[in-house]
Amino acid sequence: MSDQKLVIEYDDQTVRMFMMASIFWGIVGMLVGVIVAAQLNFHFLNFDTSWLTFGRLRPLHTNAVIFAFVGNMMFAGVYHSTQRLVKARTGSDLLSKIHFWGWQLIIVSAALTLPLGYTRGKEYAELIWPINIAVALIWVVFAINFFLTLAKRNEKSLYVAIWFYIATIVTVAMLYIVNHLSIPTSLLHSYPIFGGVQDALVQWWYGHNAVAFFLTTPILGIMYYYMPKAADRPVYSYRLSVVHFWSLVFIYIWAGPHHLLYTALPGWLQQLGMIFSLMLWAPSWGGMLNGLLTLRGAWDKLRTDPVLKFFAAGVTFYGMATFEGPLLSIRSVNALAHYTDWIIGHVHAGTLGWNGFMAAGLFYFLAPRLYNTKLYSVSWANMHFWLGLVGILLYVASMWVSGITQGLMLNNADEQGILAYPNFLETLQSIRPLMLTRVVGGALYLAGFILMAANIWMTVKSGKAVNGVCEVADTEEEGKKLGLIGAIVHPAFLYSAGLIVFSCVWLFGEGFVELIGMGLTIVVVMSCIVHFARSGDSFAAWYDKLIENSMPFTVLVLLSAAVGGVVQIVPLVNIDKASVAEDKIQQVYTPLELAGRDIYITEGCYNCHSQMVRPFVAEVKRYGEYSRLGESIYDHPYQWGSRRTGPDLARLGGKYNDDWHYDHMLDPRLTSPGSNMPNYPWLFEKMTDYGSLPSKINAQKMLGVPWPDWSPAEIDSAAKAQARAIKENLEARGKEVDQDAQIVALIAYLQQLGKSDAVVEEVASK
Amino acid sequence: MSKQPTEEKIRAHTFDGIQEYDKSLPNWWLFTLYATIVFAVAYWVYYQKADIGMTQEQELEAALAQVDEAVAKAKAEAGVLDNDTFAVMAKDAGIVSAGETVYKQTCASCHGQNLEGGIGLPLNDAEWKHGSEPLAMKKIVEEGVAAAGMPPWGPVLGDQKVNQVVAFLVSKQVK
Repeated sequence: MSDQKLVIEYDDQTVRMFMMASIFWGIVGMLVGVIVAAQLNFHFLNFDTSWLTFGRLRPLHTNAVIFAFVGNMMFAGVYHSTQRLVKARTGSDLLSKIHFWGWQLIIVSAALTLPLGYTRGKEYAELIWPINIAVALIWVVFAINFFLTLAKRNEKSLYVAIWFYIATIVTVAMLYIVNHLSIPTSLLHSYPIFGGVQDALVQWWYGHNAVAFFLTTPILGIMYYYMPKAADRPVYSYRLSVVHFWSLVFIYIWAGPHHLLYTALPGWLQQLGMIFSLMLWAPSWGGMLNGLLTLRGAWDKLRTDPVLKFFAAGVTFYGMATFEGPLLSIRSVNALAHYTDWIIGHVHAGTLGWNGFMAAGLFYFLAPRLYNTKLYSVSWANMHFWLGLVGILLYVASMWVSGITQGLMLNNADEQGILAYPNFLETLQSIRPLMLTRVVGGALYLAGFILMAANIWMTVKSGKAVNGVCEVADTEEEGKKLGLIGAIVHPAFLYSAGLIVFSCVWLFGEGFVELIGMGLTIVVVMSCIVHFARSGDSFAAWYDKLIENSMPFTVLVLLSAAVGGVVQIVPLVNIDKASVAEDKIQQVYTPLELAGRDIYITEGCYNCHSQMVRPFVAEVKRYGEYSRLGESIYDHPYQWGSRRTGPDLARLGGKYNDDWHYDHMLDPRLTSPGSNMPNYPWLFEKMTDYGSLPSKINAQKMLGVPWPDWSPAEIDSAAKAQARAIKENLEARGKEVDQDAQIVALIAYLQQLGKSDAVVEEVASK
Repeated sequence: MSKQPTEEKIRAHTFDGIQEYDKSLPNWWLFTLYATIVFAVAYWVYYQKADIGMTQEQELEAALAQVDEAVAKAKAEAGVLDNDTFAVMAKDAGIVSAGETVYKQTCASCHGQNLEGGIGLPLNDAEWKHGSEPLAMKKIVEEGVAAAGMPPWGPVLGDQKVNQVVAFLVSKQVK
């Protein structure tokens, strides 16, 4: 032991690079957002060009803003604050470089493949399988680098921001890997291993928690470091940090099914989704409170400091969005809001308000410090704030009005079940002015963001890159380590785990098991109270010890985040498909229909069309019988959709004739005056890829889809025979078409939608 | 850090200069948390344990039963619509123009702005494949012709609009 001082130089170059990347991709992602918003109102902006069409650009927008903009921003914040919070330079400079360049390479490959139509057809999980593997690998690099940093830390204890970073790293890895499990059929194409209802559940377990653990927890960590720093005030309540952190990590995971309310998802899962969303309200607000109340005594600084101004507004939007979330998950509210713009508005309150403003605050904080200078212009930053704020308000308010308007119109059926607005397009026309307002709001927000980019650029030019340093005492402090066993074999953990396990047994068990679960839950609660009251054991002491030990801490985070997924997903994955099909089971596609379905996915039709008729009078009258679980059970990926810019397609098959579809895909306004759907002229020129069908069908067979045992030649001739029949049918009606054109396969698929077999009683009872 | 009211407990440890108060949780916040948990358990018991709450399929069934009842009642009150009634309606300018609006919105994209046909059959000639009587026409509008790709419009439009559009067609009919 010696009391020599060691000087540590932080690696701030990585931070600077991530910051610049985030700003650059932010502009790209938001620009694409403004373009796709404009396309919804002016269909000619699709330019009759496949790679500029809404269905392909919208995934580019969502992936760019989530993974490129917020991803890079998060990495900048994590790398900068973690080094300072643990008083150590990042684990490995090489890993930092691999992380940075690997991530940018992933983004570039996403930006190339998505417009070209290479997609997995699942929202925010569109990237094709080779890129998925790259994402997982780079994420592991990030994780190793992060935990290496913790390992060489000169700070015994882990601050709350680090807890949130740990939760982000382990949970995103879990979610991403499970939702991207696929069987490749070629270098660029794969089918997800889950199908139908299982795929839907896994998708929203992932989708909802991408919001939780990619867009929320890392940003909360960033808030916990930069808010008290910028305000120069202590964090409001440590205790609140502990309680809201653990409740957030535990509860968030369960809430995914609220994206599937009133669908064919089994009722118990829907109800879990709703009640856990409601229970999420307080834990979310715990974060908001700790952020806003940290500003006590510093509110006057908001007037002068753009950093705090953005942080305060960002956290307020977080509070608003996390109140709106539980509200929207109430089943009766969701009945109105689901599939409408209200959801779009809700998401953007979170992303523009919370993510975007926290990013702006972070960058205004970082830039002057990383370049040892002053912010170039505070008035530009203020201008950015007001442009952004007005932009968000216009955006969110117009989407509220649009969503509620269209939801009310579509659900409006009188006592005789007669629809007040039988024509779907009527409801579209009524929201057009609101869609236009949204474009204006988004453009204002983008303008503000570009102003920030210019401001940061000028700031960077006025200064010189410097790396932060800190001095630490070179002492080897040998505290007693708390291993995993030590962390678990402690009343604090045992009682918590017992409470969770036994209450699950009680709530999910039946009969005798249920009673035992209830009894044990009560016993655990009582003995826990008695134990902590009597013995000297203290929860706080255990926890203080736990946060000095990153390994057991990380394991406990992973465990608590895993519970919800295990309880929800495992039972549904293990079901016998035929037995849960309710009274209808999907017919297996023909080869041509499968080819058509893959075209449907390539064109991103799911971005605007659902395939899920909800059990409401208005929907049953408009679209036909409500959708059964069995009707999409063989769909890899599922295509239930999340937004109805156009009508539901679950029962489209046989509704119109082939000519109708021919005209409609050529120019939707020929059959549907006033439609905002793009034209798809290339479907009439590009040829269907028959060659890949055998390997696709083979992959589906491995996944349990009951395809007949066909040879590749049989598959080919079956596909071509069906194509010929459709072509002849079209030609008889005076429509010229190449038999092998994609439109033929797509028509085959569209005409099959909703075709199912009745489930025979014996199968059902098995 | 600048001012620190003495009564506020602050944790001894700091992280990169960041201090933390250890304030107790706000009561209203705790109440919200507990209230949502209690509600969650009650909701679960109501739907899953006690089986009191209806499933979404049962909800739909009940709603559709009410609709059927209302439709039956309305039909009984309206009396029997026969071919002659449509002949009378076809002379009522109000009904015909309402029917024309429905036609333009719903039918024109396939049957043509001027009934000349297109994706669907023409309606301005003397040929009526499925019968030229108003009631036969009504049946087609309501139930569609699956083989020809004509959708059933009865559930979407409802009885009144179907009658209007049939009256409109009768008014234009070439015998």
